[in-house]
Amino acid sequence: MPFVDALYNTAYRMTRNAEDAEDLVQETYLKAYRYYDKFEEGTNFKAWLFKIMKNTFINNYRKKQQAPTLSDFAEIEESFETQVSEDASKPGLKNPEEELLENVLDEDVQRALDKLPPDYRMVVLLADLEGFSYKEIAEILDVPVGTVMSRLYRGRRLLEAAMLDFAREHGYLREGEPVKMRSRNSTAK
Amino acid sequence: MDCKEVDSVLFLFFDGEMDDETLTPFKDHVGRCGNCAKQVDYTRKLLLIVRERTIRCTAPDSLRHRILTHLPHRRSSAPGPH
Repeated sequence: MPFVDALYNTAYRMTRNAEDAEDLVQETYLKAYRYYDKFEEGTNFKAWLFKIMKNTFINNYRKKQQAPTLSDFAEIEESFETQVSEDASKPGLKNPEEELLENVLDEDVQRALDKLPPDYRMVVLLADLEGFSYKEIAEILDVPVGTVMSRLYRGRRLLEAAMLDFAREHGYLREGEPVKMRSRNSTAK
Repeated sequence: MDCKEVDSVLFLFFDGEMDDETLTPFKDHVGRCGNCAKQVDYTRKLLLIVRERTIRCTAPDSLRHRILTHLPHRRSSAPGPH
């Protein structure tokens, strides 16, 4: 059964529920079997399966009306865009973050991923966990490559911010504590 | 290429999606800009954490069994998922 673990992992991360993830993967396989005639030989079979799963996921969401609508996603995207661009414009912030990054726990990564808005979570999962190319992700999601790039940029920056927040919560970096490698005066050129 | 442009294409570099036309000015800038070199190093660590420390869930055996029992058997010669 090809790619069942990869499909299940992505399904679980998107639904955040084992039962829903199993249903989603099962439906994906049944559809893949039923529509196998539509698969073009020589193209990426894994990407084809993921595309079926993405479409099924969106359709199920619409049916259940559990998830934010696409327009909600667009609003979220816009607000995060502002946030990310503001963060990116602040020079010299990276050094304490590097220190924090080393204290990120495995569970912080999971929590940060779960916190990402679905559109961003999906591109990060497809790129960083499944290793799909931008072009393949664009085909899976039915969006332009430029959208993949911008979602990936924002998604990873949000993920980074959330992971660092969790690391900060652990109290690894306390206020007033000297930080190695910190250079307060550094500025971007 | 300036620092802002480096930031905007940084992920392309690590994703292996950077074209040759961008790669040369990117490397030139990072080679002479300490802040961007640090940013490259930081991003490498960041992506390593996401890629290697995210716990990957494995499909339970019960799911594999469910799928196999629900697949129709009408096209035994089809090269579909087995």
